Amino acid sequence: MKTIPLLVGSAATVALALGLGRGPLLAAEGAGAAKGPVILPPAVLALPVEQAVLTAPPKVPPPITRKHAARVVVHLEVREFVARLADGVDYSFWTYGGTVPGLFIRIREGDVVEFHLENHPSSKVPHNIDLHAVTGAGGGAAATFTAPGHASQFTFKALNAGLYVYHCATAPVPMHIANGMYGLILVEPKEGLPPVDREYYVMQGEFYTTGKFGEEGLQAFDLAKSIDERPPYVLFNGAVGSLVGDKAITAKVGEKVRLYFGVGGPNITSSFHVIGEIFDRVWPEGGTRFVQENVQTTMVPAGGSAIVDFKVDVPGTYILVDHSLSRAFNKGALGMLKVDGPENRVIYSGKEIDAVYLGAQADAGSEAARREAALQVRIAAEIKANPVIAGLTKEAQIEKGKQVYMGLCFACHQADGNGLPNVFPPLAQADYMLADRERAIRTVLKGMTGKVTVNGKTYDSMMPPQEAALSDAQVADVLTYVFNSWGNTGDAFTAAQVKNVRNEAR
Amino acid sequence: MKATAWLCTVLFAAAAMAAPPPMEDCCKEAPPAGPVSARSIYQLDATFCSDTGQCLPLAALRGRPVVLAMFFASCGYACPRLVTDMQAIRGRLPAELRDRAAYVLVSFDPDRDTPAALADYRRQRALDGAWMLLRADSGAVAELAALLGVKYRREPSGNFAHSNLITILNPEGEIVHRREGLGGGLDEAAQAVVAVGKGK
Amino acid sequence: MACVVLSLVGISAAPAAEMVRIPAGDYAPPLRAAGEPERVAVAAFLLDERPVTNADFLRFVTAQPKWRRSRIAPVFTDEAYLQHWAGDLELGPLAPPCAPVVRVSWFAARAYARWAGKRLATTAEWELAAAAGFTRADGKNDPELKHAVQQWIAWPVPAILPDAKRARPDFNGVRGLHGLVWEWVEDFSTAMVTGESRGDSGLDRDLFCGAGAVGSRDPGDYAAFMRLALRSSLTARHTTTSLGFRCARDVPEDSSP
Repeated sequence: MKTIPLLVGSAATVALALGLGRGPLLAAEGAGAAKGPVILPPAVLALPVEQAVLTAPPKVPPPITRKHAARVVVHLEVREFVARLADGVDYSFWTYGGTVPGLFIRIREGDVVEFHLENHPSSKVPHNIDLHAVTGAGGGAAATFTAPGHASQFTFKALNAGLYVYHCATAPVPMHIANGMYGLILVEPKEGLPPVDREYYVMQGEFYTTGKFGEEGLQAFDLAKSIDERPPYVLFNGAVGSLVGDKAITAKVGEKVRLYFGVGGPNITSSFHVIGEIFDRVWPEGGTRFVQENVQTTMVPAGGSAIVDFKVDVPGTYILVDHSLSRAFNKGALGMLKVDGPENRVIYSGKEIDAVYLGAQADAGSEAARREAALQVRIAAEIKANPVIAGLTKEAQIEKGKQVYMGLCFACHQADGNGLPNVFPPLAQADYMLADRERAIRTVLKGMTGKVTVNGKTYDSMMPPQEAALSDAQVADVLTYVFNSWGNTGDAFTAAQVKNVRNEAR
Repeated sequence: MKATAWLCTVLFAAAAMAAPPPMEDCCKEAPPAGPVSARSIYQLDATFCSDTGQCLPLAALRGRPVVLAMFFASCGYACPRLVTDMQAIRGRLPAELRDRAAYVLVSFDPDRDTPAALADYRRQRALDGAWMLLRADSGAVAELAALLGVKYRREPSGNFAHSNLITILNPEGEIVHRREGLGGGLDEAAQAVVAVGKGK
Repeated sequence: MACVVLSLVGISAAPAAEMVRIPAGDYAPPLRAAGEPERVAVAAFLLDERPVTNADFLRFVTAQPKWRRSRIAPVFTDEAYLQHWAGDLELGPLAPPCAPVVRVSWFAARAYARWAGKRLATTAEWELAAAAGFTRADGKNDPELKHAVQQWIAWPVPAILPDAKRARPDFNGVRGLHGLVWEWVEDFSTAMVTGESRGDSGLDRDLFCGAGAVGSRDPGDYAAFMRLALRSSLTARHTTTSLGFRCARDVPEDSSP
C-alpha cells in the first residue's frame, strides 16, 4: 500500500524534545501515548490553511473551486443524546456533529487534513473515527480513540479521490454504528466532478430497537436483533420522515441533481432506487469513474457509497427507496425529492383515460364485491396505522391534487386560494368549506348555484359540477390539496369517501 | 501469588519508614530546594529501592537530567535493546553530561527482580555508577508506569508484555521527551538530554 | 440520607462503605492473546458494597489537601477533575452527597483507596463480581440482569447521578456494578490498545473494527466490550462524567471462608 511520508520519521519528536512552545509533557495524554504534532515539510506548510465547512444532511458543502491543495482543518464533535427516531419514538443516538448521518466533509485530492475528534464530556463511552478516505492502518481509528471529555488530533493526506464512508470503530463497533456513528467524506478529484445544479446527502442505516416499528416511547438498542440483523427500522438520514414533506429535498424541472448516497449499516446493504427516475450516471461504490449510465437501481454495500446524477424532466414527487421494499414499506426507508416546474405531458402525460372496464366487474352485493370492499377496508386501516405510509399517501395526494387544482380550479379560486373578491369565494381558511368535508366533496362533484356566505361575505355565482371530469381519486386528491394548503390543515380524503357521495344521488 | 505480592508490599512499606539512606556517589549534589514542580513525576511519593539496597523517593534524582526506562531483568528481547539504546544515548552526550545524567531502570517485576537479581543484571551489562536499577512494590510500579505512559501486563508465563519507552526527564523530573519503540530516535533523545542539561 | 448524616460526622473517620465478600471464581477475558489461558482464577476478596460517593470523597479531600481540586498536581489528573463540585470542599447541586463520585482520575482513586486502607479491584476481580446476577450467582442466565445491563448500555448517563445506595443489590449484595457509572480498576491499562505495535512488545492486538472480534470469547457480550473499550481509551490522568470507582481488599488471612 501507499505510505504517507509526512507521518513517518522521528523528526516529529524533535520539537517536543526541545520543548518548542510547549511545557513539559504529561505522559500519555491520550489513549496510547500521543506522538505530538507531525512536523510538516515546508512545501506543505506553505499551503493555505482552511477550516472545513461541514454540513448537516441533506445538505452538501459547496464544490471546491480552488485548483491547488490546502491544509484543511476539520473539527468533528461526538455527542450522545436522545432524539426522535419516529413520531412518538425516541432513541439514544451517538452522533458525529449532532446529526445522523454525521456532518458531510468535503476536501480535495491531495489536501493535507488536520483532523480533530472531540468527544463531548457528557459522553458515556469512548469513540473514534475510521475514515475510509484515509490511507494508514485503521483509517485513523487508533489515532482518534478518545475518552469522554477529551479530544484527539491526527493528520492525513488525502491520496485517493472518491466518496468515502466514515464511521466509529470502537468496540462494540456494530453498536456504535447502529446508534448513528457514520457519515460521508468526499475527496473531490483534482479535476473536480461534472457540475450539477443540486447536490444532496443521503445515508441509509438501520436501527435495532427493542420495540417493533412504531412502538412508542424511549426505545433501547436491542443487542439480539443487532446480532441477528433484524432491524425494526431501516432509515434514510436517521429518522422516519427525515426526507418527507417539508424536509423533502427539492429541485426544479430541467435541473441536474446529484445524490451522494452512503450506507452506514451496520449490517444491511441498499438497493438504492428513485421511483420515477433513471440515474443518468452512476459512480458505483463511490469511486472516481462513472462506469454506468441509465441505471434503475444501484447496489450500495454497508460501509460503501455511490454517486448518482440525474436530470429531472417532469414535476412531481419522486420517492427514494431501498428497493428491498419491505424496508421502504414497513421499516421507513424512504424519502422524497419534490420537483417543481411546468408539466411536460409528452414525457409524462399523467393518467390520460380512466374508463369503465367490465372484465372483472363484480355485481353489487355479490361475494366478490364484498371481498373487494373488505379488502379496501383492510388496506385503509393498514395505511392509517402506518404513519409513514399515511404521511406518504397524503403527501403524494397533495402533489397530485395540486395538478388537478392548477388544471381546473385555479382560474376561479386562484392559485393562492383567495378567490376573487365579490365574485368567487376563497378556499383559504374558508369557514364554509372547512365546516363540512362531505359537503365539500358534494360541491366538487355536483357543483353549486346560489348564495353562499364564506368568512362573513356573501357570494352568488355558479360552480360547475366536476363529476364527469374527475375520478374519485382525483376529487380526493384535489380536496386533500385544498384542505392542506394556504393555512388549511386536514386529513387526506379517500376515493372511497368520494365514491359514497357520488353514489348517494344515483 | 497474591499472598506473595502482599508480603512484598508489607516489606517495602516497612522499608519506606526507615530514614532515607545517604545518596550514592553519583547523587552527591544536593537536590534543589523548594517544592517539586506540579508537572514533575517526582510528585509520586512512593519509595524505590536499588540493587545496592538503598531506598529513596524518585525526587532524590532532582537536579540531574534522567534517562529512564522500565524493564525486567529476565526479559530476553526488548529490554536488552532498551538498555543498549540508553547506552547509545549516553555515548552521544558531551563528556561532562555523560556522567552527570542518571540512567535509571525500574523493574516491572518486584517478585523476581530482587536486589540480588538486579545486582547480577548490573554486572552482566557492566553498568557503572551512573546507572540506577530500581524496584518497588507493585502499586508504585503501576503509578510510575501510569505517569510515564507505559502499559504493561504480566503474562501467565510470569514475563511482562510492555510498552517500549525511553523517557527523558529534566532536572525537575518533568518529561521532556519520549522515545517510543525499539531502535531509532537516539539523536533526538540525546538532544533532549543536552537541552535540559544546559545551564549547569 | 444515611450518607449525608455520615458526612457530617468527623472528617477523619474512615469511610464507612460496607464490604461484601465475593467468593472465589474465575474470569474469562473478552479478548485473549495467543497462549493466554481462557480463564483466570480469582481468589475470594472483599468489595465495597457500593461505589464511592461524593460525600465519601469529600471526607478524603478534606483529610488529604493535596487531592483537592485546586491543589491536585496536573501529573495526576486532567483539567476536569471534580469539575462538577461547587468548590474544593463543597459538593453543590450537581454532586449529591449520595451519588457516586465521578470525574476522578485513577491516581486519585488509588490515593483514596490507600487512605481508606483498601485498594482498587483488579479487572479480573471486578468482572468476577459483575458477573453475578440479581437473583442467582450466575448473571449470564439471569434475564433481569441482562435487561438491566442492556438498559444501562443503551442510555446516556444523567447529568445528576442517582443515589448509589438505592441501586438494586445483586446476588452477593453488591450495588450498582451495572447501571450507575463505569468504575476504575487497578490494572485498567492492561486493556492495551495502542494500534501501535512497534511501541509494544507482545501486545499486537487491536480492539478496533472487525479486528476486535478476533479471538474474542463472547462477541455478543457488548457490555464487556464497552468496559474494555472504555478502559483502553483511558490514561491514569483521565476523568469522565461517568467514571467513578469503588474499593476492594484482600480477605483477611484468618477469616473463614
